[in-house]
Amino acid sequence: MKFDTIIIGGGLAGLICGIRLQKAGKKCAIVSAGQSAMHFSSGSFELLGRLPDGTETERPLEVLKQLPKEHPYSVIGEETVAEYAAMVPMFLEECGIKVSGSADKNSWRISPTGERKPAWLTLEEFVSLPDKDSKIGNKALIVNILGYLDFNTKFLADSFEKQGTECRIVSLKLDEMERLRKNPSEMRSTNIARVMDREEVWSKAIDQINSMIKDEDAIVLPAVFGLKDSAIIEKIRTRLGVKTYFIATMPPSVPGIRAQMRLKAEFEKCGGYFFLGDTVKGADYNEDGSIRSIETANFGNIRMYADDFVLASGSFFSKGLTATPFGIIEPVFGIDVKAEDSRDNWFDRYFWNKQNYISFGAVAKNGLHASKDGKTVWNLFLAGSIIGGYNALYEGCGGGTAIITALYAADEILKK
Amino acid sequence: MGHLKKDNEFDVIIVGGGITGAGTARDCALRGLKVLLIERHDLATGATGRNHGLLHSGARYAVTDRESAEECIKENMILRKIARHCVEETEGLFITLPEDDLEYQAKFVESCLAAGIRADVIDPKEALLMEPSANPDLIGAVKVPDGAVDPFRLTSANVIDAKLHGATVLVYHEVESLIKDGDTIKGVKVFDHTTKQTKEYYAPITVNAGGIWGQHIAQLAGARINMFPAKGALLIFGHRVNNVVINRCRKPANADILVPGDTICLIGTTSSRVPFEEVDNMYVTADEVDLLLQEGEKLAPKLASTRILRAYAGVRPLVATDDDPSGRNISRGIVLLDHETRDGIKGFISITGGKLMTYRLMAEWATDLVCRKLNVDKACETMEIPLPGSEKENIDEISKKTWSKPGTPHKAVVGRHGNRAGQISMSSEYDASLVCECESASVGEVRYAIEELDVHNLVDLRRRTRVGMGTCQGELCACRAAGMLAEAHKCTETAKQDLQSFINERWKGMYPVCWGDTLRESEYSQWIYSGVCGLTGEGSTEKI
Repeated sequence: MKFDTIIIGGGLAGLICGIRLQKAGKKCAIVSAGQSAMHFSSGSFELLGRLPDGTETERPLEVLKQLPKEHPYSVIGEETVAEYAAMVPMFLEECGIKVSGSADKNSWRISPTGERKPAWLTLEEFVSLPDKDSKIGNKALIVNILGYLDFNTKFLADSFEKQGTECRIVSLKLDEMERLRKNPSEMRSTNIARVMDREEVWSKAIDQINSMIKDEDAIVLPAVFGLKDSAIIEKIRTRLGVKTYFIATMPPSVPGIRAQMRLKAEFEKCGGYFFLGDTVKGADYNEDGSIRSIETANFGNIRMYADDFVLASGSFFSKGLTATPFGIIEPVFGIDVKAEDSRDNWFDRYFWNKQNYISFGAVAKNGLHASKDGKTVWNLFLAGSIIGGYNALYEGCGGGTAIITALYAADEILKK
Repeated sequence: MGHLKKDNEFDVIIVGGGITGAGTARDCALRGLKVLLIERHDLATGATGRNHGLLHSGARYAVTDRESAEECIKENMILRKIARHCVEETEGLFITLPEDDLEYQAKFVESCLAAGIRADVIDPKEALLMEPSANPDLIGAVKVPDGAVDPFRLTSANVIDAKLHGATVLVYHEVESLIKDGDTIKGVKVFDHTTKQTKEYYAPITVNAGGIWGQHIAQLAGARINMFPAKGALLIFGHRVNNVVINRCRKPANADILVPGDTICLIGTTSSRVPFEEVDNMYVTADEVDLLLQEGEKLAPKLASTRILRAYAGVRPLVATDDDPSGRNISRGIVLLDHETRDGIKGFISITGGKLMTYRLMAEWATDLVCRKLNVDKACETMEIPLPGSEKENIDEISKKTWSKPGTPHKAVVGRHGNRAGQISMSSEYDASLVCECESASVGEVRYAIEELDVHNLVDLRRRTRVGMGTCQGELCACRAAGMLAEAHKCTETAKQDLQSFINERWKGMYPVCWGDTLRESEYSQWIYSGVCGLTGEGSTEKI
């Protein structure tokens, strides 16, 4: 099999990169092991929430120059990052994903436990608040589905009440959910969403909510609507008539999965090949150290050839990186990784402090090239959280680095 | 006894909610005494919950410590009878590896038999059929009646029975001082961590069952006990590699016991002296982890590629004999101190040393002494009367009787609570929904634990129900259970802080073994709680 570009990893970075290349006329394949970080999405993409020293950032683009030189934003260059950041909303819109928010100033999302976190672009059903302590209303009706434990109404009510919103918690009881409940492990977001997607079910839910509203001026719902199609979100808003806030649930994330499925569909619509449930087993190399072909588990000795390769295989959780008691390795190509040697320096004993290991990852050379044994691999590009040198969690820049490095890597390939 | 007393007056006050204190409280209550049990944290937080969970046959001590071996086998047989729902009858193997001396085996078997422990030499091939995960290079094997015991369940069952017999149990109550009248201890002054109030309780006898912390309680009374904190580190693996306890047939050494327990298995232990100041904060070092793995792989080679869930360490309350303050001559047996004859302090006794296996006997000795002092003439019955949960039927019968179609969570509940499972509401679909998938803990079980089993926070809940003990280490169940606690305790702020403390407590056991899948799990937790939820640890009880 021969492609122009093979992308390893079907998460946010891999898909964005693939769509960009495919739309520019390249023939691409994505090899994906399965789930991605989008399946536990917060509902927002972050560009930059704080600097490595902990300083909170209100206007991310203005502080990019303060980032260390190994940070992927620095490798790309601040002006280029700003250009990409400006075009991303349109890019996503063209993929069928509506977002709100701007790169000029962070907005705020409401977390599943009621915390406020800086956000860049927010998926359509969620509200991005202009200020950290924006009030959602004077009186809120918090609605849950009976027996659904991954939507913590108490925590949410507590945080809204701190901002002066009076809260009332109610539960929806729907016969259609009873069947789910028969199996004790079924009351999870995606299963609920599958049932809710049927018009007679969500309609009934809206009727019940409407009958429970008294004088509330805000309704709070778990984001378990529209797994396949976001169209019902608007319909629900219209039918309720009162300002409706969908709040992200504990994983799995229905909006995140929908967005991932949307991107995958877009990639395939453009003619890309998405090999789901496959993993790369090995590679062979040209004399100059560049990659000639890869071998995957499903295709066995039918090798996959390409001019260029993009490694968007994620961090530890997605198996883009492997940690052994003796060190951190990149398991697909064995490329250079930046990590501390001693395990003592990987962790902080306090969970809530900054954890070093999250910043470990592949060394990104200029142009987001990977390197092996210190030598640049000219046809291997890095995108997303496989890249080392920055703490996406602490800095609040996971979504932004994934999208922007993916677009940049694609354009570097197109430039060749 | 126990009549015409004021609310804060008791026959006996027991300090320490480990298995020794819980057992003593039960024994005293069964003998008709009005009992108060005080614990500064939760039940089973010290050495009780930080060991192998091995139902020793005594074989391990047969060669070196005949007395302990005899105590173990006797108690082993008693626990199988009175604590069935806490015990798993797995059997045990003592294997000899090529690097070990096979001659030791003969001496071992002879010593076992002398101590009354059944010990059958079996063919290595038969041993491998019995336990396929054992090292296939073994050159000798002996079968002994080892088993597994759940220390949390055992403690909880003792406390339930004490309460059923009128005992008062106060957790999160810390002894500030002992109330003295001349040379007599009259009671205790305690600080209630929940209400932040100081209270006084009176009794003619106070029993110090504080384990390693008993040294401090004795000090408050003006007595000196020379304790030598011995740290033992263990590793928990993500699933049951073995179904039979595997021991090394050699003189007791590091990491030579692999015990299956519930959904996991455990290798341990190391043994090292630690300074007294460190007993409240045990960290497992990288060297200890490496040693445990290196030795553990020799018992069951599969351990090398098995995911490690967490590492933890307990502190054995070893006591120096009175005539040897240097600590060279340390007793591993039961130590019962009557401070009246020893130090001239009346109304105060200490029960310490010993081990999980001999808790019932320790309780019996302590209660006998209490009764002698109170002139109560009633014989001990704890070797006969089953603990709550272990009465009558076996687990399958209880399960069938309680539910028409028992599912996994029903079976799990019966496994954890024995015949008390009938009190757990699981009839509606909501009550049967799972809070914790790894351990099949349902809404009904969590609610029962919160209402009936002195659960104040998520860590307590884990000890009663195994919520958060499985492979995901509390990833999503912690947040679900926190929601339920918020509702039950009507305090969201506390529940949220508690959630953050709980996650940190899980992390404490994970980072020493954080590579491979354990690191993947941790990274996921970080993204969920610090990222998606945006929690920062603010207000959590532990901060470094």
